[in-house]
Amino acid sequence: MARRPDEEYDYLFKIVLIGDSGVGKSNLLSRFTRNEFCLESKSTIGVEFATRTLQVEGRTVKAQIWDTAGQERYRAITSAYYRGALGAILVYDVTKPTTFENVSRWLKELRDHADSNIVIMLIGNKTDLKHLRAVATEDAQGFAEKEGLSFIETSALEATNVEKAFQTILSEIYRIISKKSLSSDDPAPTSIKEGKTLVVGPQETNTKKTCCSTS
Amino acid sequence: MMYGSSGTQSKRDLAYEHQAQISILRPSIRARRANMTVKFQDLYGFVVEGNVDDVNVLNEVREKARQQGRVWWALEANKGANWYLATHASSVLKSSLKFSALVNAVTLKRLIKKGIPLNLRPKVWFSLSGAAKKKSTVPDSYYNDLISAVVDKDTAATKQIDHDLPRTFPGHPWLDTPEGHAALRRVLVAYSFRDSDVGYCQGLNYVAALLLLVMKTEEDAFWMLAVLLENVLFNDCYTNNLSGCHVDQRVFRDILTKKCPRIAAHLEALEFDVSLVCTEWFICLFSKSLPSETTLRVWDILFYEGANVLFNVALAIFKMNEEELLMAHQVGDVINIIQRTTHRLFDPDELLMVAFDKIGLMTTTTLSKQRKKQEPAVMAELDQRLRRLNSVNVDEQE
Repeated sequence: MARRPDEEYDYLFKIVLIGDSGVGKSNLLSRFTRNEFCLESKSTIGVEFATRTLQVEGRTVKAQIWDTAGQERYRAITSAYYRGALGAILVYDVTKPTTFENVSRWLKELRDHADSNIVIMLIGNKTDLKHLRAVATEDAQGFAEKEGLSFIETSALEATNVEKAFQTILSEIYRIISKKSLSSDDPAPTSIKEGKTLVVGPQETNTKKTCCSTS
Repeated sequence: MMYGSSGTQSKRDLAYEHQAQISILRPSIRARRANMTVKFQDLYGFVVEGNVDDVNVLNEVREKARQQGRVWWALEANKGANWYLATHASSVLKSSLKFSALVNAVTLKRLIKKGIPLNLRPKVWFSLSGAAKKKSTVPDSYYNDLISAVVDKDTAATKQIDHDLPRTFPGHPWLDTPEGHAALRRVLVAYSFRDSDVGYCQGLNYVAALLLLVMKTEEDAFWMLAVLLENVLFNDCYTNNLSGCHVDQRVFRDILTKKCPRIAAHLEALEFDVSLVCTEWFICLFSKSLPSETTLRVWDILFYEGANVLFNVALAIFKMNEEELLMAHQVGDVINIIQRTTHRLFDPDELLMVAFDKIGLMTTTTLSKQRKKQEPAVMAELDQRLRRLNSVNVDEQE
């Protein structure tokens, strides 16, 4: 998955991963950006992120995925984490009901910190642990519909639906961005509140490595 | 990229680990070319990635540590074992007329900046940090009583601890064994009961793990953790809303603006907030960011001089990367630059030289004053946040 350092892209989309500690945020990140799964990954403190450039609706999109600590006491420290995010992936563990019960608290957190237009996707992770499942698909589906979120179940370990999940949220972000730039007549970057994140055109000239090699 | 194999290393005795030579694990000839990445083991048994230059730097670091060992032994021969105890701040004040104590204090401060030898670290840290004193105020059986009293308890803290054990320095030849996990668990669980305001905060797992590696015994590691959280660091860094950590970020933001105005202005223009990198530094005390010996050299100073060193080092990391940071176009670039360089700071002297010689003095008293100034704003902010979240709650329950 080596990428050229001078890669060019049309859009840079920042997406944040949130959810309780241990639901598999870091492994969703590594599965999507590096196609890796690590049973022994370090618990995340502070911020990690990785990027992957891919085609979304015919455009080259650089997806920048951010990951952070899940323990409750860290929630208030992460306002800078949400800044400029166009998408949020809210993860729970299908084998741990409390992580699903906490989803509504995470939504509140998002509404408090993030842009009101942020695209939110709910992910039930760890579907590979079939015998341990404790959250029914229908329950999560119903919740997602009620809250207006897209929803998918994944297994970062077996690489099930991870690609689809990210493609879905990226497409959704793209549709919103392109609709906005059409309706407002503004060029896309300025139509987004945090213009810094949505970089249009080949801007990246000096980064030798993506964070794939540093996180 | 060529990688050496890391899985073949046998689980070695911890004590032996400390003496271990840095060995590149099955290096390939081709890996010797510049910029090839190899995996190798550092002084404390961590497998790290770097190029051949990094291996050479670590070899120099080990040699310097040996030289420092000889200096310390010579001093002990000359001044007597435990000579450094007669220099403790309070005893210097009490015996300020005693010139020798003052000389010792100056010598000690200088020596500690150059690094405490690996084999003396447990003893010197335990005395100078105040852990020995703390331990002496309770019965000898305190730690053992505590761990047996809490052995079957199941709390939110123990759940989180159990979850983090295998995720604490995975792959380390001792920490990542059943024995290592059990020791780390006892230390963290015991502390979570000792201080229920802190309980367990993610990040302490890394701190306690390194303490275990250095101190060698669990009980001493426990007391080091206690003195660290209760005396050495500023208050409330790990409590349930991390308010102390919020305060530290604000103080650091101001210091960066004052000491590195160009960097601060550029980062502000990018809408980069220092909390994106500093949270990990201040919570894990650099243990998750810097190579192990570099971290421990920072801790040498931390346990003797106090928490101001954390600010000096954080500032140094920004300053060392000034040129590159000024060229960054986005927040992501900044995080990349900082994380990439911290992971490869194998030479502690390079970092500490910038931290102390190029930044100037920041005393713990000055920092305490600045922290006091920021506290009300942080409290108000946290309070407002809670209120906002609760009001969303009420709206939803209509």
